[in-house]
Amino acid sequence: MMKRLNRIALVGLLVQAAFGCATAQPPQELLDARSAYDAASKGPAAQLAPAQLDTAKQSLAKAEQSFADNGDKPVTKDIAYVAERRAELAAAEGAREKAARTRSQMDKDFKNSEIDAVAATKDRAAKAQAALEKERQARAEAEKNLADANKKLGAAMASLAEIAKVKEESRGVVITLSGSVLFATGKSELLPIAQQKLAEVAKALNDQGYQSLLVEGHTDSQGSAEKNMVLSQQRAESVRMYLISQNIPADKIRAQGIGSSRPVADNNTAEGRANNRRVEIVVTPLGK
Amino acid sequence: MREFCLVGVALLLTACGGAAIPQESLTAAKAAVAGAEVGGAASDPKAALHLKLAKEYVAKAESLIADGDNEEAARVIDRAQADADLALSLAKETSAEKEAQDTKESLDRLRKQAQ
Repeated sequence: MMKRLNRIALVGLLVQAAFGCATAQPPQELLDARSAYDAASKGPAAQLAPAQLDTAKQSLAKAEQSFADNGDKPVTKDIAYVAERRAELAAAEGAREKAARTRSQMDKDFKNSEIDAVAATKDRAAKAQAALEKERQARAEAEKNLADANKKLGAAMASLAEIAKVKEESRGVVITLSGSVLFATGKSELLPIAQQKLAEVAKALNDQGYQSLLVEGHTDSQGSAEKNMVLSQQRAESVRMYLISQNIPADKIRAQGIGSSRPVADNNTAEGRANNRRVEIVVTPLGK
Repeated sequence: MREFCLVGVALLLTACGGAAIPQESLTAAKAAVAGAEVGGAASDPKAALHLKLAKEYVAKAESLIADGDNEEAARVIDRAQADADLALSLAKETSAEKEAQDTKESLDRLRKQAQ
C-alpha cells in the first residue's frame, strides 16, 4: 500500500512537471529555430534541398520534444540551437543549388550565344567578303570599260589623223579638212572622195563622243568677201548635212560661214591660199 | 524502497557526468571546422561568424571534458558541429552565387557584343 501511494505520488510529480514545462515560455533558441525552419521551408530548399530540409524538420521536432519533456532547460536550448543551424543550413543549400542551376542555365545560354555570335561574325565576314568581291568586279569592269573607251578614242583619233589635221585648241578639238579635197573650185557640192572621208570623220566622232559640233567654212581672199562668205556658208552647210546623214544628230551640229576673215596662211602664195581654203569641224568634248 | 535507491543511483550517475568522453563527436566536429575553413568559410562574413562560433564551442567542449563534464560537452560539441556545417554551406552558397553573377556578367557582355 505504501509502495502504491509512493508510485502515485511519483506519477503526480511527473505530471506536474510535464504541465509545468508545457506552460513555460519556449526559450529564444526554440523560437529562432521555429522561424528559421519556417523561412527555409518557404524558400528554394523545399524543392532544391529536400534532404537537408527534412533533417532540419527532424531536428526541430527533437527540440520541440525536448521542450515538451524538459521545458526551458539547457538541453532544450542546445537542441534548439542545433535545429536553428540545421534550418539555416537547409536554406543555404537551397540557395546554393538555385544559384548553381541558374549558373548552369546561363552557361548553356553563354555557349549558345557564343555559337550565335560566331555564326553572326562569320555571316558578317562572308557578307563583307561578298561585298568586297562585288566591288572588285565592278572596279575591274569600270577599268576595262575605261580602257576600252581609251582604246576606242585612240583608234578614232588615229583614224581621224590619217584623213585630216587634228589639233587641240582652247575652243575644242579642231579637225581641219582641206577645201580642195572636199569641193571643186567655186562649188559647194561634196566630191565623192570627200563623202568617203567625211563618213570616216563621222564614224570617229560617234566613236569618240562629243558635246556639240560646229562646222566652219573658210575661203582664201580671192574674189569678193561677200561671195566668199556665201560660198563658205554653203560649203559648211553641205558638210553639216552630210554628217547628219552619217548619224550625227542635227541638234548637235551647227554650220557657219566665216569667209576669208580667218586665214591660217599667207594668201599671197598658192600654197598659203590652198591652206586657207578649208573646212574646220570644232568638237566641244563631252563634259564641257 | 529498493526501487527508489536504484532511481537515485541512476540519477546520481547521470548528474555526476558518468557519461563517456564524447571523443568521436569531438573529432567529427573538429573535422567539420577544418572542412569549413578549407571551403572558404573564413573569407565569407556570414560563414566566418559561424566558423568562429564552432571553434569557440570546440574549445569550450574540450574545457568541459577536462573538467569531467562530458554530458554538457557532448551538447556543446553538437553546437560546434551545427555551426561548422552551416559555415561550410554558407561559404559554398556565397561562391555559387558569385559564380552565377560572374557568368551572368560575361553573358551580358557577350550579348552586348553580339548586338
